[in-house]
Amino acid sequence: MRGRLERAARDPVLAPYRLAFSSALARRAPSDRRARRDAPSGYRRAPDTCLYPSIAVYVGSGASHSWIWFADLLERCGLFDVDFVDETRVSGSGLERFDFLLLGGGDTYAMADSLGGRGAEAIDDFVERGGLYYGSCAGAYLVLTGVDMEPFAPFALLHGNMLNVMADPPAPRCLEHKYLARYGEEWVFHPVYGELFLEAAMEARDFPCFAAAEALAAPLLGGPVMSADDARDVLAVFSVLSRHAAYLWPREQARALLDGRAAVCATERGEGSVMVSGPHLEHPLFPGANALVAEMFSRHCMRLVDNGHRPASGTTAHPDDGRAGAIPAKDTPGDSGAALLEVKRQVSNSRIVAFGLEKIPVTWTIGLKVWEPEKVRMFLEVAWFRLPYVQAAATRVPAEPAARLAEGYSSVTEMVKSLKIKVESGEDSLADAESLLVTLKELTASFLWLYFRLRLEDGAVQD
Amino acid sequence: MDFMYYGDTLVVDLETGKTQTREFTEVDEEGPGLAAGLALYEEFSDAEPLVVGSGLLTGTTVPAACMGFVVGRSPLTGEPAVAPLSLFAGAEVKLSGFAMVVIKGVSPRPVYLWLHDGVADLLDASDLTGLDTWQTTDRIRREMGEALVQVISIGPAGEAGSSLASYSINYWGSGDTAALGAVMGAKKLKAIAVRGLGMLDADDPPEFYRAALEMISRSPAELGLGRVCAALEAGDVATWLEPLVHRYRSCFACPSACSTFVKYREPPDVLGTDGVEEPGMLVTSPAAAAWLRGGGWDAEPACRAMEAMARQGVDMMRGARELAGKPLAGESEIIDAVKGLTGSMDAGWPSSDRAYPGLFGPWVPPLASQEEWDAANRLGYVLGICPTFIMTSGLDAAELFALCPPAAGVELDAEAIAGMVP
Repeated sequence: MRGRLERAARDPVLAPYRLAFSSALARRAPSDRRARRDAPSGYRRAPDTCLYPSIAVYVGSGASHSWIWFADLLERCGLFDVDFVDETRVSGSGLERFDFLLLGGGDTYAMADSLGGRGAEAIDDFVERGGLYYGSCAGAYLVLTGVDMEPFAPFALLHGNMLNVMADPPAPRCLEHKYLARYGEEWVFHPVYGELFLEAAMEARDFPCFAAAEALAAPLLGGPVMSADDARDVLAVFSVLSRHAAYLWPREQARALLDGRAAVCATERGEGSVMVSGPHLEHPLFPGANALVAEMFSRHCMRLVDNGHRPASGTTAHPDDGRAGAIPAKDTPGDSGAALLEVKRQVSNSRIVAFGLEKIPVTWTIGLKVWEPEKVRMFLEVAWFRLPYVQAAATRVPAEPAARLAEGYSSVTEMVKSLKIKVESGEDSLADAESLLVTLKELTASFLWLYFRLRLEDGAVQD
Repeated sequence: MDFMYYGDTLVVDLETGKTQTREFTEVDEEGPGLAAGLALYEEFSDAEPLVVGSGLLTGTTVPAACMGFVVGRSPLTGEPAVAPLSLFAGAEVKLSGFAMVVIKGVSPRPVYLWLHDGVADLLDASDLTGLDTWQTTDRIRREMGEALVQVISIGPAGEAGSSLASYSINYWGSGDTAALGAVMGAKKLKAIAVRGLGMLDADDPPEFYRAALEMISRSPAELGLGRVCAALEAGDVATWLEPLVHRYRSCFACPSACSTFVKYREPPDVLGTDGVEEPGMLVTSPAAAAWLRGGGWDAEPACRAMEAMARQGVDMMRGARELAGKPLAGESEIIDAVKGLTGSMDAGWPSSDRAYPGLFGPWVPPLASQEEWDAANRLGYVLGICPTFIMTSGLDAAELFALCPPAAGVELDAEAIAGMVP
């Protein structure tokens, strides 16, 4: 797995975007000598035409684990000004300092419920003012105008609908627990689960990612099959079926539903842009699909510059909201080596137990989302594979957030052990699993926030 | 060496309770596996070290690439000796995040060492004192929350400094015939627990895996330690054990499942492993089985005696030799007899008259000369391949040497290995 991730990270498809954003970063922080020194000499466009964006990733209620793929993608694009927001920050004035808002997969009902009308309004304002909204899977369902029942009605950013809905879907051939979600009197259903291929629609024929490959592979993991009211909003359609997928419907029936239907849509709205995708284009094992997202990021940044848009202030002024890992503005950096070693110790302990947990056939349904034990380790590995970088920068990591991370991961170790004991003994483990996953989500966001701060301080990346 | 080892050398000072790491340079200067282990042993010899390590190919898909080792000064001879880390312990050591581990000095209190993903924790073992190896394994695994943690522990024999003491690997006998379990006891080191989710890099991964898988496809997939005994002319252990056999089990990556799990507290044809809590044991020592069978023991009490020896942390080969000729039947008298073992220095394979031992212990099969035995052990401990598998499978050493360039970008041959390990 690590090998595949590393190959994906080196994939040349993303190299032009890394170059463009790295040069933008070097310009954005002219006082940062390191950033200037590391800036690449070749630019994809003239150096003043790409803005270095500040990015918010939604990790609040309803978000599953898939938002961590955004972190992977942003890192590989050289985009380090990243923060992680929940429904409270979205609904308040928390989006003002960002240029992008990314919403991934999860429980769409829980997302819509928790964001509410104020959240919908804040997102709408954010886009109208020039922000980019990118929603994949649940983040796509959420903002389609055709998905208009409560609590989704206030969220309406893109004129389109979902097609994978019917009153009486046939029984699935497999993966029954992944198949259906209630939608009023009807059911949202998923005919295929796994890899599919996408073809460029007319609007995206000149995108480099489609020039490099006739069809892009991307994973559809419960996301919508879409229609767009305006055909010009369609960027990519489903084309060829893949062998690397589970077919909950017979293949021919699945093909009939999917073939030529909208998989990725995008539109401009006010000063901003909206992009939605049924498949998880941000998944780290699909570099071609990643490049499609990166292309949209890049185009949006250029458009903002063309429109004279000032970059958002980013997360550097982020107040200490009490989360583990949030660097207080007035905190003084110190040597946090011991605390970070404790983080490593506890992440390792947790991973070892979580790996054992994966051998037990158990799932937990939290809201509408089915969670498998492997999701625990996916969260832990976000921190695990980035810890060496953070440890190497220990002298720049303030003591307090490092200590909070250590404390947080220590409690995770105990939670995973306790969960495993309950699962092994056949006790009801749902409440423990939910508590663990919420804690892991918050802790992972805090860790990543710290990590991206360090990456941002260190400046541009070089290929 | 950029490949096949993951992490640095760990130096654990039991006296101070401190650990530190340093670059694993011995692999380039002295050679991989046991060559590096012996160099570290020499370097720290003033502190009576135990060196824990693994071979070049340990933890890979090469057939029988399961072998790790412990080097220490044997209380039996006063000379350095090597004991095996088989089953899954060697592979876990390889993936623990430490290339080699040096444990020096004596702890002021009972401790155990927890190695995981490049983190070394020296933990209090006061509440493990006096426990047998089965209880110790259970307690540590419960504490860590994971049954795949490999526990190299000593029982009461090791704590008491018995010359019969042998460390166990989880619940089973280890092949430590040099009383390194007594060295652990002297250090107040109750156990070494290890689990790692590390990954190894190869110099040429496609070629390495192609060649390794091709070797596996040609390797014999024999079952049971009875086969090993037969191959070594040590009697028909297979027939003797057969009524108790529940399953066969191999060490990591080995196509030959030469350990035999026997059940004697429930019928062996009960396939489930969740019935009786402790239904039997894994017989890992062909020599012990051969001694007891040849010494007039029935299979079931013999297996109970081997269980008692594993629990006490007693070297099964020497313990069985002492028990041979004095067959017992009742469980309590068997346990008492095992607890009363005095620690005979006599050891060795039943059909061998070789006197005790060199670097690699007394396990000298008759099908190999002493030179062949030593060569197989050198090869096995440098490369991390089970020496018994090397000798009984017909494996050509040249094939193993051919794997070294794609694995690690190094060239090795028998002459080079003979120069690395005396």
